[in-house]
Amino acid sequence: MRPPARPGQPTLRRARLGNGLDVVLSPERSSPTVALGVYYRTGFRLEPEGRTGFAHLFEHLMFQGTRRVPKRAFGRVIGASGGVLNGSTRHDYTNYFEVLPSSALETACFLEADRLQNLEITEETLRNQVDVVKEEVRVNVLNQPYGGFSWLWLSQYAFHTYPNAHNYYGEFGDLEAATVAEAQAFYETWYGPGNASLVLTGDFDPDRALELAERLFGAVPARPDPPRLDVEEAPPESRTEHRHRDPMAPSPKLALGYRTAPFGDPDHLPLALAARILTDGRSSRLQRALVQERQLLLGVNGGPNFPIGDAFEFRGPALFTIEASPRPGVSTAGALAALDEEVARLAREGPSADELMRAKRRELTGYHASVDSRLGRLRRLAELAAVHDRPELVDLLPGRFQAVTEEEVRRAVADWLRPERSTVLHWLPAAGRRGDA
Amino acid sequence: MSPPSPAPDWPPAVPSPGPLPRLRLGRPVEGRLSNGVAVMVVARPSVPRLELRLSVPAGAAVGASAATSELLRAGILLGTRELDQGQVSEAVQRLGGSLQVHQDQDRLVISAAALSEAEEELYRLLGALVAGPAFPAPDVATERLKLLEALRQARATPEFPAAERLQQLVYAGHPYGRPEPGEAEIRRVGGEQLARLHRSTFLPGSAQITVVGDVRPVATLERLERGFGGWRGRGRARPVAPVRARRRPWVTLLDRPGSVQTVILAAASAPPMGDPRHLGLQLAAAVLGGGFDSRLMANLREDKGYTYGAITSSELHLRDTLTVTEAQVRTEVTAAAYVELLGELGRLATVPVPDSELADTRRYLAGAQLIFLQTQAGLASALAGVRAHGLDHRYLEHHAQALDALRPEQVLDAAGRHLGPEAVTVVMAGDAARILEPLRRVASVRLEPAPPARLSPAAGPGGRPSRRGRAAAPPPAPRRG
Repeated sequence: MRPPARPGQPTLRRARLGNGLDVVLSPERSSPTVALGVYYRTGFRLEPEGRTGFAHLFEHLMFQGTRRVPKRAFGRVIGASGGVLNGSTRHDYTNYFEVLPSSALETACFLEADRLQNLEITEETLRNQVDVVKEEVRVNVLNQPYGGFSWLWLSQYAFHTYPNAHNYYGEFGDLEAATVAEAQAFYETWYGPGNASLVLTGDFDPDRALELAERLFGAVPARPDPPRLDVEEAPPESRTEHRHRDPMAPSPKLALGYRTAPFGDPDHLPLALAARILTDGRSSRLQRALVQERQLLLGVNGGPNFPIGDAFEFRGPALFTIEASPRPGVSTAGALAALDEEVARLAREGPSADELMRAKRRELTGYHASVDSRLGRLRRLAELAAVHDRPELVDLLPGRFQAVTEEEVRRAVADWLRPERSTVLHWLPAAGRRGDA
Repeated sequence: MSPPSPAPDWPPAVPSPGPLPRLRLGRPVEGRLSNGVAVMVVARPSVPRLELRLSVPAGAAVGASAATSELLRAGILLGTRELDQGQVSEAVQRLGGSLQVHQDQDRLVISAAALSEAEEELYRLLGALVAGPAFPAPDVATERLKLLEALRQARATPEFPAAERLQQLVYAGHPYGRPEPGEAEIRRVGGEQLARLHRSTFLPGSAQITVVGDVRPVATLERLERGFGGWRGRGRARPVAPVRARRRPWVTLLDRPGSVQTVILAAASAPPMGDPRHLGLQLAAAVLGGGFDSRLMANLREDKGYTYGAITSSELHLRDTLTVTEAQVRTEVTAAAYVELLGELGRLATVPVPDSELADTRRYLAGAQLIFLQTQAGLASALAGVRAHGLDHRYLEHHAQALDALRPEQVLDAAGRHLGPEAVTVVMAGDAARILEPLRRVASVRLEPAPPARLSPAAGPGGRPSRRGRAAAPPPAPRRG
């Protein structure tokens, strides 16, 4: 089923400024709000060796003031404009975004253009944000049961080259060793206009928005293209299993990560649908078979780039992850055997027509829900533009999902979700300190 | 405590935003189904979907045990005599929909969505679920295990036990202070208990349905009647008892040996949404810990680097608002961070907020509301929240104006009564061996032993039960990174 064309359906425009900045505009006027995102093509994989966590630390520095807008003014101005803001770091991009009343669009554009050009990094702000990031790691990882479980730890076992297999949040020693000069060099290398996409969604006039982008961002000098680093690595040829012990965890959990299909591969969309068929909702295969019928698990979830992202936000090698919580009395090994059986069954028999139809319907409603939200629309659109250079796909994907067949899902599962291409992490309660068991 | 750093001025180069756009919600259609359900429908055809919220008084408010009400929440999804839980989930997915059940201290809320073309089928399915849930014994047994495991995991975190203890202290003697269920209590709940609670909770005469989406409201009323008209039940829920919150003038410290951070919670009771004093509190709380450049973020994070985030949020109970300030700080600076936090509370309670900071904060709140209400889902949740408080869409529409009309002395008064150092009850969870002695230099502290880390030998989970139920959810708290 194709999404019906409607009067409110958004349209797209794209332009490239003289300095190389990619501009993508998606006006939609149903509420007087806009979202603005600047996506830089750098992330976890590209941070220097010996400086784990640097891409994320640098993201924090982008909020620490410029030569024209002092520290804390960015947050104050956005808040006082009625807006909210945030940023995040991912494998292949780092993003900064604001959602605002439409009357504040120029204010936000000014601030983003300013920090693209005039960032000021000082010893004081760097030391302050190293402290803040260490508290972020403590609050999300070190002081939490299952802290960082599959997103932070599984990939360190599943990959073997530095870009894919290091601690993305950062070893404290590396964070503390970061210098202002290194941050400045990182900014010069990766934060040029030619390495970024500016994306606007929501209530604005596209001609005027393009003028605004030209006026505020067009004045930023071009910088040399950043180096193209090779982050590819061959998939594993046999399964490895690893044990992690966690004194805070009351019960064991299991994470299973398969190498997943890259964007553009014929199996890419079928695998995204397979994730829904396997784990989405109480009618999914794994919940039905292993939680309700065989009573081996209490919970199961997963998908491409789970749990921090989806099938569209990465360019280099990535994992299709399944997380499972065994019932009391069931071992993680028992849970693993049962998961293997169910995945193999899908690879052998494929989904039923009804299963696939339901997965497609959820893609379609997910698409509509994202169009309804400025930020939801921005995220998918900006990933497609900045990471894959294909923003026009944003409104074509629902139709492409509808075209996937049962046999394509079966084959994708059979090709990619094979035990020998997977890595297993047993997360176990234990006395003593956290670490490898 | 170090002197507060003043808010930075608006940098001269930065263009000012235009006036805030007006919030326009459209005209709701209201009605009552033949069984007494109160309905509100708002047409918002932004995308071809619809969002529904069905709310009934539940939980602590109706005197149910914590275990039974938490299991009733999950039990609604277990299906009817005709449809098992997997078939319910399949049916929802065929409608392009979603279905969740949430619960706070006052209400149980079913949140559902579907493609507009499946509107009628969605109402039929939900009508069957609320009228005749089956609570099959094996599925209830699994839900008991899931709940036990979720609570085990929640109790292993630093923040959950602290929040639980805080509610017990502030709302002692009131249903809002009821702790999360224990293991023995959970094991006693079966299908019969759930059926009984269902009969006394799912009363159409006390229920509210809110629909927002690409619908024709008059036709929607008729479709709702067809879907939910067969749902019967006698009687109405009793109103929740008024709150007499208590303040504990000491720091309650939950020992968490080896903890590398300390959770600090400082909370006080205040009038509920709809009370004239509520808005002053909302504004004061936002100045303190609302946005990225709130006073707490500026001090504890951007100046001192003690924490990743310091946030003030409100739990909007029907009979009370609990305003909670939370920060997780590294163990070594616990006492220093506590002094800074108390200093910010004291400043807010004694010194009027400067006009420019007040104006910025008003606009921050009004803008956050515009953003939250931009989607069908946000508007449906917000309307369901205000309706539960006996208010309606006009409360949302007039919110920005009402904030503008507040005088600085009203904000000062609200802060003094409900946020000041002499108003809050403080609970911390951290490594007593390292923080008790420094803390005792600045506070009287009552040390409580660590809660048992493991209730019994067991294995794996589901999501954490949400301790902090929210009626009308405010925009998400800012967290950078």
